[in-house]
Amino acid sequence: MTEVVIQPAGFTIDVDPGETLAESAWRQGYRWPTTCWGQAECMVCAALVVAGETATVPADAAEEEAMRLRMPRHLRRPESRLACRLMFSDDGAVVEKKGVRPPPDPQTDPEGANT
Amino acid sequence: MTAIDDDLGAATGVPGRGGVPFPMRDRLHVPRERYFDRGFYELEKRSLWSRTWQMACRLEEIPQPHDFVEYEICGRSLLLVRQPDRSVKALHNACRHRATQLEKGAGRLAGGQIVCPFHGWRWNADGTNSFVYGASGFAPECLRPDDLRLRECRAEVWGGCVWINLDPDASPLREALHPVADLLESIAVGNWQVRWWKEVVLHANWKLAQEAFMEGYHVPQTHPQLAGGLSVEDFPVDQNRYDAFDNGHSSFGRKLAGERYTSIETLILGGQLLSDGQDAMTLERDLTVFEGFRNKIQPGDDVGAAAAEALRDHAKGAGIPWPEGLEDSPLFFGGEVFVFPNLFFLPQYNNCLSYRIRPHQDDPEWCRFEVWSLTTYPATELRPRAEQLGRFAKDDSEHWGLIPMQDFSNIERQQAGLHTVGFEETRLATEWENAIGNMHVELDRRLARD
Ligand code: FES
Ligand code: FES
Ligand SMILES: [Fe+2]
Repeated sequence: MTEVVIQPAGFTIDVDPGETLAESAWRQGYRWPTTCWGQAECMVCAALVVAGETATVPADAAEEEAMRLRMPRHLRRPESRLACRLMFSDDGAVVEKKGVRPPPDPQTDPEGANT
Repeated sequence: MTAIDDDLGAATGVPGRGGVPFPMRDRLHVPRERYFDRGFYELEKRSLWSRTWQMACRLEEIPQPHDFVEYEICGRSLLLVRQPDRSVKALHNACRHRATQLEKGAGRLAGGQIVCPFHGWRWNADGTNSFVYGASGFAPECLRPDDLRLRECRAEVWGGCVWINLDPDASPLREALHPVADLLESIAVGNWQVRWWKEVVLHANWKLAQEAFMEGYHVPQTHPQLAGGLSVEDFPVDQNRYDAFDNGHSSFGRKLAGERYTSIETLILGGQLLSDGQDAMTLERDLTVFEGFRNKIQPGDDVGAAAAEALRDHAKGAGIPWPEGLEDSPLFFGGEVFVFPNLFFLPQYNNCLSYRIRPHQDDPEWCRFEVWSLTTYPATELRPRAEQLGRFAKDDSEHWGLIPMQDFSNIERQQAGLHTVGFEETRLATEWENAIGNMHVELDRRLARD
């Protein structure tokens, strides 16, 4: 399991080996923005790896191709990654993504209406 | 059945029992139209494929919760989805909004969501609707939860496979698999896992293609290398026992009488031919085991029993499951089981060769022919998710062994031959080809149902 810090909210998400960041977040009840739910189609999950890049597994050809084809050029940075493809080999990565929300707190949000 | 009488009777043949065109008048002749007639094929779609239990996928294709694979039969598409509790659901693959197919091929439902690629409606892995975009713009009667749920199809798990039946009123799977389920359980069908999996597309009717695997009668002519140097005249035709069962199923295997193997050399030589030519029934692993006891065999020893013992000892040492009495199964030294309507298991030792044949491109004269090599792995071995290696041409010797290439080439020549002027029906041996007639008679029984 690797620890990943999500900015600006400041959460730490534990990601299982072989699991992607978005999938891990969804599994644990976080809201991670998406439209296609992990199909590398929507680019809505895209995030920036702002520190600890060596703790990430580099993008494969399919992820690069998806970003080249589908991500508006003005949004794409060298540090852009698809959270639905991003995996980690070590602790210490810091990922920037707006709109990530924590699992609903059963005390204050009994309906689980976090979306 | 009036529609069939009207549509097909006059146009394409004299209907028999229950309005089935080109019926089987006995078990010894198959009218050629059953292999290419459009009306007959349409009747198969309506009365067979829509109402029969059929193998939809192997469990190793969807090992983890939220893995899915698509199963297509005659233009119908289903999603087999592994649930968090490890059960499997079969969901009809169409959006409840405007019918878009939701998934293609195989994949994972990340976040457990099935997402429509058109307007983004979503479902949980169990088929319950989880999201409708812009729901406020719909009349409530358009969004009743019961209507939004993905339609579910009957699915059951048996023998390492997921089976589906599009008929909600079908009897249970186990009933339909009688009596071959028991036979296959004697050889631990549920322990096999995919070693490799390939496909060929053949210019032949799906039934014609599979009939080539229901008899060993073709062996000396089609596969001369397996005849031990004997000419077809000298090759004994009666080495196999052929059993035609209820429900269209059948099986054949070596007769058990007498010494099974005259020497360790025959065992190893035959095994090498199978391993090189097919790479599925006998494997390299088995040959290594046989080599290991080659020198310990004394004249007069029972080679078959010694082989079984050596394989069992090897399995135990390697942590490969070996149920009590496996070597006593009538299929242990090699055999064939046909599961109506379109699945084959050819087990040997703790391996198996398997085939599944389906109509292709909605054309009675084309089929998809899939081939699996299955074996029993050590209980602790983590196997990768099973994926088809690809579709390969019938004469691609890089990807097919000599044995299947020989079988495939005759199948297409048969289909072409059916269209010959003056050729009306195939004629079948009572003793060696009874499984073929048995399948067709069962097919007629299914086609004649209301
Ligand atoms: S979730 Fe859509 S591209 Fe990653
Ligand atoms: S067709 Fe599926 S959401 Fe519209
Ligand atoms: Fe053959």
